[in-house]
Amino acid sequence: MNPRIILAIFIIPLGLIIAAVPQNKTKPYKLTAEQLLSEANTRSQYISPETVADMIVKNDPTLLLIDVRSQDEYEKFSLQGAMNIPITDLLAEQYVEILDQDTKMNVFYSNGTITANEAWMITRQLGYKNNYVLEGGLNYWFEVILNPTEPASTSSDEEFAKYDFRKAASSALGGSTTTIQPANTPLTNSPKPVIKTTPKKKKPAGGC
Amino acid sequence: MGPLAVNEIISENTNLFLAFIIGIGFGFVLEQSGFSSSRKLAGVFYGYDMVVLKVFFTGAITAMLGLLFFSLFGWVDLGLVYINPTYLSSAILGGVVMGAGFIMGGYCPGTSFCGASIGKVDGMVFIVGLFIGVAIFGGGYPIWEKLYWAQDLGSPKISKSLGLSDGVFALLLILVALAMFWVADWAEKKFPREEY
Repeated sequence: MNPRIILAIFIIPLGLIIAAVPQNKTKPYKLTAEQLLSEANTRSQYISPETVADMIVKNDPTLLLIDVRSQDEYEKFSLQGAMNIPITDLLAEQYVEILDQDTKMNVFYSNGTITANEAWMITRQLGYKNNYVLEGGLNYWFEVILNPTEPASTSSDEEFAKYDFRKAASSALGGSTTTIQPANTPLTNSPKPVIKTTPKKKKPAGGC
Repeated sequence: MGPLAVNEIISENTNLFLAFIIGIGFGFVLEQSGFSSSRKLAGVFYGYDMVVLKVFFTGAITAMLGLLFFSLFGWVDLGLVYINPTYLSSAILGGVVMGAGFIMGGYCPGTSFCGASIGKVDGMVFIVGLFIGVAIFGGGYPIWEKLYWAQDLGSPKISKSLGLSDGVFALLLILVALAMFWVADWAEKKFPREEY
């Protein structure tokens, strides 16, 4: 048989199949339920208020605070430099570029941690990296950053250092404490996470 | 899963090594299909030998079907596959320059190395010309820099601009390819050339 006809017999049905099936738009890098569960169990999505406060004070350009509460609540009070993405609009197309990126560290916050965690789980499930949750939410933020309580006199040095830092941050961020601490207060908080980058599509070389 | 290098399943060095192996295979097949003969290659412009058209069209539809099926099976994420951006004016101008060189020299860049590797003098001369061209382009870059980057269309896909799904466009392209093979056969009979 003519090789041309053999080719046609072989390749036209393949073309018909590929024309008939729907395009595969699933993203293979999505997380499975097991992966997500194990990631949630490590609690690695949490960023301590101290780390966030430090980044705000230092004007760290890699930090992006995202308020996932409603617009009303956001307008009443929000953290310095935060943008508002209400959880109901989380999947809106205009926010994809903000949530799915590899240059910034997004920190979700809500009053507690439930809504922020919802936002984190949804974006993580989509395979987005560099999204985090403010540990304890705004309630804890008020408690430890804006109105820090002095530790008992029997507390460890570490506790005191933490308190000093919180007080300094509080005064910088408009809390109730009036005592101004020197800026070189040592930090005892956890290091901020490394921003994960996705390798860019690589340029192939070559041609005819 | 794929693309392997982008998803860091294999390292950049492994990627280059695989490219090296595939490159050798590519060169071997080119040579075996007679692509080291400039007369055979130039034949596509005169109609007496359409092997270039047949081989590259077959290669294109094979790769296209392979990628689409791999994507269907979830083996490769087409969103991560690099699509060369289109700069319309430089693409057209470059195509004209390359085509003129192809007709005059009887080789395209890859096949000239193929020819030179088996000792064809015209292939070697072509390579010298190729490097002269590279030097002219590089040296005069400021002159045509603007033109080079003009009319950036991003990474357009024909299927998208026609409003078709990739699959339907693939089927159409297969039918076009088969029609072209038939035209090529007709051309070879119509413009025969005895000795080359």
